[in-house]
Amino acid sequence: MKAEITMPVLSDTMQTGRLTRWNKAVGEVIKKGEAVAEVETDKAILDVEAFADGFLAGPLAAVDTDIPVRQVIGYIADTPEATKTDSGGAARVAATTAPPAPPSAAPGAVPEKKTAPPDTLQPTAPAAAATPPDTAPSEKPASPLPPHTPTAAAAALQPPHAGGLQASPYARALARDLELDLSQVKPGPDGIIHAAQVLASALAPEDADLRRGPPYTIERPSMLRAAVARNMSATLDTPTFLISSRFATAPLHAAAKQAGLSLTLALTRACALTVAEDPWFNQVWTRQGLAKRSRVDVGIAVDTGDGLITPVLRDAASRPLKELVEDWRILLGKVKKGRIYPEDYQGASFYLSNLGVFPEVERFNAIVPVGASAILAVAAVGSDGRADFTLSCDHRVIFGADAARFLQRLGKRLEDLSWLATGEGGL
Amino acid sequence: MSEMLYWQALNRAMDAEMAADETVLTLGEDVGLYGGTYRVTEGLMAKYGEWRVRDTPISENSFTGLGVGAAMLGLRPVVEIMTINFALFAMDAIVNMAAKIPFMSGGQFPMPLTIRMPGGVAKQLGAQHSQRLEHMLMNVPGLRIVVPATPQDAYWQLRQAIRSDDPILVLEHELLYFSKGDVDEATLAPPIHQAVARRRGRDITCIAYSRMLPLALQAAETLAAEGIELTVIDPRSLSPIDWDTCVRAVEQTHRCLIVEEDCRFAGAGAEFAATLQERCFYLLDAPIQRVAGMDIPTPFNGTLEAASIPRGEHIVQAARQMMAQQ
Repeated sequence: MKAEITMPVLSDTMQTGRLTRWNKAVGEVIKKGEAVAEVETDKAILDVEAFADGFLAGPLAAVDTDIPVRQVIGYIADTPEATKTDSGGAARVAATTAPPAPPSAAPGAVPEKKTAPPDTLQPTAPAAAATPPDTAPSEKPASPLPPHTPTAAAAALQPPHAGGLQASPYARALARDLELDLSQVKPGPDGIIHAAQVLASALAPEDADLRRGPPYTIERPSMLRAAVARNMSATLDTPTFLISSRFATAPLHAAAKQAGLSLTLALTRACALTVAEDPWFNQVWTRQGLAKRSRVDVGIAVDTGDGLITPVLRDAASRPLKELVEDWRILLGKVKKGRIYPEDYQGASFYLSNLGVFPEVERFNAIVPVGASAILAVAAVGSDGRADFTLSCDHRVIFGADAARFLQRLGKRLEDLSWLATGEGGL
Repeated sequence: MSEMLYWQALNRAMDAEMAADETVLTLGEDVGLYGGTYRVTEGLMAKYGEWRVRDTPISENSFTGLGVGAAMLGLRPVVEIMTINFALFAMDAIVNMAAKIPFMSGGQFPMPLTIRMPGGVAKQLGAQHSQRLEHMLMNVPGLRIVVPATPQDAYWQLRQAIRSDDPILVLEHELLYFSKGDVDEATLAPPIHQAVARRRGRDITCIAYSRMLPLALQAAETLAAEGIELTVIDPRSLSPIDWDTCVRAVEQTHRCLIVEEDCRFAGAGAEFAATLQERCFYLLDAPIQRVAGMDIPTPFNGTLEAASIPRGEHIVQAARQMMAQQ
């Protein structure tokens, strides 16, 4: 008996995961809960845990491939004997690689279920497609038990037709209507262009035409980078305005140091308290209406060296500061190890981006992430001892005067630091 | 409106037509004294007498031929053949006579003949008693074939068949006789050959008839829980086929899955697939798929028998596979 191990669904946005490592080899004993493989998702490297005791069994999906969620990547067998990979198995756990695979391998991406019922109960259109037209009439007389694997395997090896491009009739018709070049459309997981891919391509911004420029190679972005790109593109529909002010940060810096806090945490607290005073800053525009949040969760932009991640401090306005300090320590640890989970970095209602450590940065503005209505960009301290604070706001929710008052209150809070020492949430 | 079993609905339809028109008569093996193998003619002999409810010898070609002759002379006979497997004896009467005479006589002889027969894989009746054979009959021009899947359709379509001046085969299913459903005897029936959508969904059009219909509807429930929405079309008639309804559905889902209990090879599903790709080619987003019975004589062994025809899980799996491609 072999049970399937599938690509786990680790976040709402995850469509594929990149298998980065098998921790075990075929035949090795595995325990329930043990990490058998590692998967790189949108944001982090996560473990694939075994759901039962047993032995790892093949065929295993290849490492460094993008695999759709819920697709089988390997098996857990209950006996060591059952771990022997049967012939032809390699084709069964197929993965899709981001750049289209060579023609002969592309259709191999069609996943074939191990427990396929006999051929005649299965749709056989792909098998029929594999039969060259000239031999078709003589093929397949009604033999009592049509062997099912060979025909399917033949279908898997069938190269795309002469054009090198397979698309469904509907996809072709759509592409024609939308005046899209099918060769620019990335095929689906089965190597064939369907309507879904044409529509996605039509809605996506057009790629730059690089053919007349310098020679280039295409490299796959890391999952994290790709996710950031997706999330940033998703903000294009947000009508944004910017508003700036300059505040002295030295007093805050000193007080934070005294309280044993990083400047980032002290700024986070200051922002959270200011947001809590004006609930508009904690709301977000949705198609159903304004989502009013009952708690201020602040997302803080962190540079990972290969992209951006925003760990979230929950309830940053009212929890004791020492709890936030501890949370932040844990979150940073997770970022460092690349083991950060969606619940750690999703769902902030206000964002903070601090580039103050780069003295050259006089001023910058940040993009309001989807799900929040404002993000505060803090630049480096200038010669006047003050730093630029630029607030980017979603104008559907926040208006200019609201933003001006926000900066006003924040400015006062950076002068009168009583909130840090005592009273509301001191250490 | 009342709830009744499929066989009861057929019985009510027979009763209603015999009461309404005295030229309606029924004949076949055990239809009289015994009341029909599946009780469809129960009580009719007592009510209408042995002149109109006639027990016949075990001789299908003869009594079907008798039906043909009666129809030519203006009566409205309903011939019951105990199972479709025995209709093979009556092929001459059905194919050479019933289907041809109206044409060969230039319309001088109408053929208001109804032939009722159950078919399908029931429960270990052996290869010779488990055939469906609709594909064989679909290939005979001049015949009309209806495949009621619900008690309501059984009631409506049998009454409509009896009133029709063309030869109509009513293919019943042995496992449907004891299925239950609401029957409204008062409302107007839709046209006898019209297909209906039993369920609407955006992803795949599933065409399923006779006993495959309840299977498809069940599979659709399972799939809906996974986010795959099926439109389920019950064609209700295999000859002619209501293409417009099927085409409209496929044009909306761009994918089509056909379920048939009959063997796959040259079956009803092949006809659906061929014609739908002719009519909907540019709107198809995936190859049309079939879930069908195996191309083998039905095994007697219960496990093998069950494995030889589609089950709900096959429909679910086929639908998942169609959606997984994209």
